[in-house]
Amino acid sequence: MTEAPAVLPQPLLARRLGRAVELVWALTPFVTALLVGAIILWATGRNAVDTYRLLVRYSFCDRDAIAATLAATTPVLLTGLATAFAFRAGVFNVGVEGSLYFGAFAAAWVGFTYTHVAGIPLMTAALALAAGAGALGALLPALLKVLWSVDEVVTTLMFNFIAIGFTSYLVNGPFLAEGTANSMSPLVADQAGLPSLSPPSQMSPGILIALGAAIAFWFVFARTTFGYELRTVGGNRRFALASGISVRRAVMIAMLVSGLIGGVAGGIQILAVNHRFIDHFSPGYGFTGIAVALLGRNTAVGCVLAALFFGALANGGATIQFFTNVPIELIQILQGTVMVFAVVQLGRGIARRS
Amino acid sequence: MNEIAPTLSSAVELSTPIVLAAMGGLINLRGGIVNIGLEGKMLAGAFVAVLVSWKTGDPWLATATAAGAGGLVALPFSLLITRLKANEIIVGLGFNVLVAGLIGYLLPVVFGVYGALNPPDLAGLPKLRIPGLDDVPVLGTVLSDKTLLTYLAIASVPAVAWTLNRTTWGIRLRAAGENPDAARAAGIRPLAWRDASTVVAGVFAGLAGAQLSLGIVSLFTIGMTAGRGFIALAAFYFGAGRPWPTAAAAFLFGLVEAIQVRLPGSQLPPQVVDMLPYLAVIVALTALGIARTRRERRAVLT
Repeated sequence: MTEAPAVLPQPLLARRLGRAVELVWALTPFVTALLVGAIILWATGRNAVDTYRLLVRYSFCDRDAIAATLAATTPVLLTGLATAFAFRAGVFNVGVEGSLYFGAFAAAWVGFTYTHVAGIPLMTAALALAAGAGALGALLPALLKVLWSVDEVVTTLMFNFIAIGFTSYLVNGPFLAEGTANSMSPLVADQAGLPSLSPPSQMSPGILIALGAAIAFWFVFARTTFGYELRTVGGNRRFALASGISVRRAVMIAMLVSGLIGGVAGGIQILAVNHRFIDHFSPGYGFTGIAVALLGRNTAVGCVLAALFFGALANGGATIQFFTNVPIELIQILQGTVMVFAVVQLGRGIARRS
Repeated sequence: MNEIAPTLSSAVELSTPIVLAAMGGLINLRGGIVNIGLEGKMLAGAFVAVLVSWKTGDPWLATATAAGAGGLVALPFSLLITRLKANEIIVGLGFNVLVAGLIGYLLPVVFGVYGALNPPDLAGLPKLRIPGLDDVPVLGTVLSDKTLLTYLAIASVPAVAWTLNRTTWGIRLRAAGENPDAARAAGIRPLAWRDASTVVAGVFAGLAGAQLSLGIVSLFTIGMTAGRGFIALAAFYFGAGRPWPTAAAAFLFGLVEAIQVRLPGSQLPPQVVDMLPYLAVIVALTALGIARTRRERRAVLT
C-alpha cells in the first residue's frame, strides 16, 4: 500500500510524453508546409523569412488586418468543422464544397426573392434554408452509403461537381439577374446582408456563428452520449455495432450535419461578402476545409487554429501579392503540402479506411 | 446530318486525354490505388509540354518530357501512400492543389505571365494523315488527321487489356492490388508494384496533358484540365476497372463534350451536360452497390 504513490507519476509522465508526441505530430504538417514554401521562395530568389514576416504583419498588424483575417477565417472554419464532423464519425465526406454551393444559392434565393421581409427574419430564413440545402446536398450520398454501402468518397467527390454545375445552371438560366450577362443572381435585399462588425473589413456576425459552431462541436463530442456514439462508430465500427449503437443512424446524421454546416458556410459567404450568388464563386472553401480538419486533427480547437492559419494566409497573401512580387499561389502550395503531410501522420489511425 | 462525321472527329480528339488518363488510372486502380491526383499530373504534363516545345521547338521531345513529368510527380505521390501509409484520397486532392499552386506561382515569377503561357509560334503536335484511311468517307474524317497521342490512346486500350489479363506483369500487378499478402507470399513485392503502377498512371496523365496543350490547342492555361482528371476517374469507375468499358465511357464523355462544342444551343444547357459524367458514376456505383447488397442478402438467406 505504501508503495502505491511511487507508481503514480509514471503513467502521468507517460501521458505528458504522449501529449508532447501528439503535439509534435500535430505541428508536423504545419512546419513542413512552411519549409516547402520557404524552399520554393528561396529557389525563386525571394527571401522566405521576410515573406513570412510580412504575411504575419499583413494578417495581424492592426485592427483592420485582424478583422480581415477573421473574415477570411469564417468560411474555412465552418467548412473545416463540417469536414471534421464527418471524419470524426469515420465518414469520409469530401463533398462539403458541394453543400457550400447549395447553401449559398439557397441563401441568395431567399435574399433576392423575399425582399419585402424585415432584416432579422430574412437573414434567419436565408441561413436556415442554406443549412437545409447543404444537408439536402449530403442526403443522397448518405442514403446511398446507408442503403447499399456505396463508397461515400467517390459519391461526395463527384457530388461537388454536380452541385457546382447545377447552381451554375440555375444562375445562368432561370435565375440570371436581368441586365447582367455574367452568370450571377440578382442582389439580395439590403436588409438581408450580414453587417460588418468592423468596417471596412467584411468581418460579419458570421465569425460568431462559426465560433459558436466550434463550441457546439466541442460540446457534442466531449460531453454528449451522441457524440460518444459518433466517435465510437468512427473509431471501431464493429465495436459500435456490438455495443448496440446504430451505425446507420450515426453515419446518416454525421453526413447530414456535415452538409448542414457546409450549407451555412455558403449562406454566410453570400450574405456577408458577395450579396448575390455568383457562378463558381468559391475558391475551394470546401477543399480548404479538408485541410483545416486534417491540420486541426478533427478537434474543435484544432479547427479554430487551423482555420485562423488559412484565414491569415488568404488575407495576408492577397496583400502581399499587392505590395511585393510574391504570387498568392504560394498559399495553394502551403495548403497542398499541409493536406499531404497531415495524412502522412494520420496514417497511424484517425482517418484510415477499411 | 453532315455534322456527324466532324462531331465524331472532334469527339476522338477530345476524348484522347480522357482515355489516356483513364487507362493510367485503371492500371493504378488494379494495382490497388485510387488515383485522385490525375488532374494535377495532367496539368503538370500540359505545362511541361508547352514549356519544352517553346524552348526547344520540338513537340516530340516536349511530349516525352510531359510523360516524364507526369511520372515524376507520381513517384512521391505513390511513396507517400505506399510507404508512409498516407490516405490516398487526401494525398490526391493535396497534390492537385499543390501542382496547380506551384505552376500558378511559377508563371508570374519565372515567365512574367498570369494564368496562361502562350508563346508565339509554339510548335504543336503535328496531325498525322493515315494513307488509305484518308480517302474512306466518314471514317477518314473521324480517324485520320489526328495527333500521335490519339493513336496511342486507341492502341493503349487493347494493350492494357492484354497486359492485365494475359501477361505475368498483369497478374503480378493485380495480385499486388487485390491481395497484397498473398502476393507477398508468392514472392511479389506488392508495394513496388503499386509504385510502378502509379508511375505508369502518371506517365499516361502526363501524355493526356500534352494532348491538351499541344494537340487540341497550342497553349497552356492554368484551368485547362477543367476536371478531366476527375472525368477520367469517372470513366474507370464507370467501367468498373475493365479497359474496354472504361475506354467506352471515356469516349462517351469526349463525345458529349464534342457535341457541346459542335452544336451549341442544343436542347440541354451546357452546365447540365457538364454534370453528366459525374451523375453517370453515381448511377453506376449505385447499381453496383444494389447488386452487391442483393447478392449478400441472398447469400445470407441460403
